Amino acid sequence: MSADEGEQSLATVGLTKTFGGVAALDGATVSFRHGRVNALIGPNGSGKTTFFNCVTGMIRPDAGRTTYRGRDITARPPHRIARAGIGRSFQLCRVFPRMTVLDNLLVAVRPPNLLAQLAGARKREETERARYWLTRMGIDHLERAEARNLSWGQQKLLELAGVLMSEPELILLDEPAGGVNPALIDRICDLVRELNAEGRTFLIVEHNMDLVMSLSDHVVVFDRGRPIAEGPPSVIQSDERVLEAYLGV
Amino acid sequence: MPRDSERPRHTGRLLRLGALLAGIAVALSFPSMAPSPYELTVGIAILNFAVLSTSWNFVGGFTGYISLGHGAFAGLGAYATGLLVTKGELPSFVALFVSAALVAVLAIPVGYAALRVRGASFVIVSIALVLIMLLVFQSWASFTGGSRGLVVPRPFPGKLRSEHHEIFYFLFLGLLALALLAWWIIDRSRFGMGLKAIREDEDKAQSLGTPTYTYKLVVFVVSAAFTALAGGLYGLWFGDLDPVFQFSILSGAYMVLMALLGGVRHLYGPLLGAVVVGYGLEYSKLEYGDTPLHLVFAGLLLGVVVMFMPDGVIPAVTGLVARVLGTGETSIREVTAAELRDERDEREADVRPDHRPDGKRPDGKREVRQ
Repeated sequence: MSADEGEQSLATVGLTKTFGGVAALDGATVSFRHGRVNALIGPNGSGKTTFFNCVTGMIRPDAGRTTYRGRDITARPPHRIARAGIGRSFQLCRVFPRMTVLDNLLVAVRPPNLLAQLAGARKREETERARYWLTRMGIDHLERAEARNLSWGQQKLLELAGVLMSEPELILLDEPAGGVNPALIDRICDLVRELNAEGRTFLIVEHNMDLVMSLSDHVVVFDRGRPIAEGPPSVIQSDERVLEAYLGV
Repeated sequence: MPRDSERPRHTGRLLRLGALLAGIAVALSFPSMAPSPYELTVGIAILNFAVLSTSWNFVGGFTGYISLGHGAFAGLGAYATGLLVTKGELPSFVALFVSAALVAVLAIPVGYAALRVRGASFVIVSIALVLIMLLVFQSWASFTGGSRGLVVPRPFPGKLRSEHHEIFYFLFLGLLALALLAWWIIDRSRFGMGLKAIREDEDKAQSLGTPTYTYKLVVFVVSAAFTALAGGLYGLWFGDLDPVFQFSILSGAYMVLMALLGGVRHLYGPLLGAVVVGYGLEYSKLEYGDTPLHLVFAGLLLGVVVMFMPDGVIPAVTGLVARVLGTGETSIREVTAAELRDERDEREADVRPDHRPDGKRPDGKREVRQ
């Protein structure tokens, strides 16, 4: 990884998005540092996934600005944001169902230019790299299976492998533990720790508080489309605003 | 010698190669076997359908975007070829390729606008294209001939009718081979993989860095060019163009039906669909004359395909064969907590992760146990 630990990774200023008069994001200003496992938590409807969609270009915000490592990426299309180094998973795990497990990863290969993408042939080293990630996820024995035939947990791992194949520096995971058995949650946590130790930055949206508190270095709490608190997990756990907004106590 | 695990795939490859060679032999010998020039014209009509449907399948098959307006590109290819020959006085086959290039250029702004929308909206935009072209070519009679039609001179005036048909049979066959080759190359390329990812989940493909809009536009232009070539060649063969038939929604609908019938994900899907639908249409017209009964048959066939074989005949048959031979996928089992522990121990002991301490590879064919 080229960025230094502690350098600003992703930042938003006044990010706003409304759907039919409902403000999903209401001037969200927040920043995340490189090299950390960051978590974004909050009650349902607090704007976490909309935040992900806005910063990855899936949804165009009504107002506000997003920067990644100092560069403005607000108006960029999703594929250019991905190529800038931001990878993401989806809340409801999304794979390419009718493609093989191996091809699911090869889609994410990033050739140097458009001509190489359009006219270039697949390369052996790309396949080897895809196999490396499949092995690391423990699903290499499924490389010829169609992704739709995999279990939910395996699809979660496949989705993460696909994201990693695109060589992101910042990985946004939207509920990585959602619907996954406890053994697989442990595996996902191990993977996040390992990948973080290798220099990747994470921003994780998750409702599993045990996972969030054990895994993250920095937690941002959203409520009604804007951050209401942030800090290390130990501080967040005892923050009264968080307890009120999130736990209703 | 192939290993045991590779034997079914090796056999499958040999079977496919054998079927391909047999198909080529039948196609090449058809003109000499056809009992009369009429059968040969049926063969040409089927080949024309096959090229059109394969051309449509560049967009429909790879990206999943259903265009009902591809008849517009065929019509434009036919009229552009005819007009370049009659008014531009270009040699017939130069006119054919120039017209395909012109249609490809025109497809850029059309695709630029149409591919901004997805699903039903794209279908409606594509229909609008063919209706606009119909109105333009009907109304601009001073240039296009309007409803009176446009007569395209035959490219081989000295040949007999039967010789003319035979030459065009092989020209259509060559064009079909070219379209299939192009589809096959794209299917195996990085570009093709991106297109298939668009078909599966466009947002996801974007999030992995695929410039989906550019990909769609490029393949749309390729598809339009091949469709125009088919239309232009038809114009040179048939020699008489009428806007009502050239710019018909029905021709686009037939392309969709043929590709769906054979299987849009398969190289030979549209070809198989064209053989069935093309023969069926000719049979229906021969038996029932100019009644709209062939439309009823086509509608019924589309209903049957969508309800019982949504992936088409080829995937349905190959799936059935795989089930009978037991070569289908069986392995999706998740690992257990105990195996996870083992794997972790292995990693710590710096042992290759795909081998367990007991020396056994994780077996991919075990029952689901969570």
